[in-house]
Amino acid sequence: MEKQKSKWHTAIKLILILAIISFVVSWIISFFIGTDIIDGNVAIIPISGVIMSEKTRSFGQSIASAPSIVGFIEEADRNPKIKAVIFEINSPGGTPVGSEEIVSAIKKLNKTSVAYIKDIGASGAYWVASATDYIFASRMSITGSVGVIGSYMEFSGLLKDYNVTYQRLVAGKYKDIGSPFKELTYDEERILQKQIDLMQEYFLDDVLKNRNLPKERIEEVKTAKIFSGIEAKEAGLIDEFGGKEEAIKFIEDRLNITAETSEFAEKTSLLDVLSEIMNEKSFFVGKGIGSSMLEPRSSNRIEVWT
Amino acid sequence: MKKRGLNLPEERTFKGPALVWKRFLAFLTDFLIINLVLFFPFKRLIQSSMPEFGSFSETYAYLISNQSYTQALTVVSLAMSIFALFYFALLEYKIQQTPGKMLLKISVIGEKKEVRFWQYLVRSLFIIPIFPFFLLWVLDPLFLFLTKTNQRLSEILSKTKTVEEYIIR
Repeated sequence: MEKQKSKWHTAIKLILILAIISFVVSWIISFFIGTDIIDGNVAIIPISGVIMSEKTRSFGQSIASAPSIVGFIEEADRNPKIKAVIFEINSPGGTPVGSEEIVSAIKKLNKTSVAYIKDIGASGAYWVASATDYIFASRMSITGSVGVIGSYMEFSGLLKDYNVTYQRLVAGKYKDIGSPFKELTYDEERILQKQIDLMQEYFLDDVLKNRNLPKERIEEVKTAKIFSGIEAKEAGLIDEFGGKEEAIKFIEDRLNITAETSEFAEKTSLLDVLSEIMNEKSFFVGKGIGSSMLEPRSSNRIEVWT
Repeated sequence: MKKRGLNLPEERTFKGPALVWKRFLAFLTDFLIINLVLFFPFKRLIQSSMPEFGSFSETYAYLISNQSYTQALTVVSLAMSIFALFYFALLEYKIQQTPGKMLLKISVIGEKKEVRFWQYLVRSLFIIPIFPFFLLWVLDPLFLFLTKTNQRLSEILSKTKTVEEYIIR
């Protein structure tokens, strides 16, 4: 009997110890998993930096990877808790294919989408914004630039100066079209220009459809000029002035919900942070050395920052 | 008149395989305790992080779409199973019984006299919900019913058995 009593005592003691440890462990786990859990009802997807069609890294330049962004859009679409998506745009644009991939994913999204342009949302980034239901931008944001650029440096003159010859060996008349080592012929220029015009036509056509712009605005937008936020509002390129708060308010009013935001962004590991620091440091060290070699001692350049 | 005591033979006891229904009931009792005491903080963690959905399909869609949450859930369930494993292993190591087994008067013994802690861990490995341990969910009951000694596969592997005391008069 006494032995049985002692066994119960031991059992209760052990269970209590395990219970305390389980409390502590669950508390520790909550710290680690808390940040990963998507608990809000409004997804925020940042599009920051140059839009690329691949997951690439770049020295000192932030990249908006189209596959990652598309993945986040699809994830938000599948998630029944997410009722709307806000695109936080701060990008000068990027590759046509990367931009189109994001645009296409937004069009497939079955949820309310809003974009707000921070400092810049131009070219491909504006195309992305135009695919959303509503666009906010600051009065001082830079947007527009609905055009395509294919310019490149040509070194044929430089090669000539240094007595270097470009030995042209091609099968197919236009195989080396756009080679920086030879002068562009009239025919080649026409071909490249036609391609670029076609791309702009497609881009422009989609933006016009997305924004339902009046015909009188088409010519202005077609010039690929940049628009300040104020001009963009007049031209119908954006809907309202505002930022994140206004975008959230818009969603709350439209969907009659209390918005809780969740950011959908790439998780950065410690290794990523360290390599980024190393990259940036190396970039600026190189830049510093280069500048000290090239720049005159007393510079009369005027730099404007705002 | 002089009273004469009955000259009955002495009671003899021996340990034989525990009845399956007793083992099942003991397991249910233990699982209830684990669920109420050890799993409580983890369940609270899951409930606080899991949004409320109206239907199973919505919950399923959420889990499918939210990979980081699914990963977190995997970590939590693994931690829970480890606690359950230690509940059985520690109690059986210390007192050869769990509260469920104490109530049903069954206990765990080794095939040899000395039983090491790892043996108690091995006999409860079926609790860990990862490959290959979850195969024991099928294999353990099969062995329990098909072996003469009523031993689960994990009991055979750990060289332990669940017994109860039988009295022979």
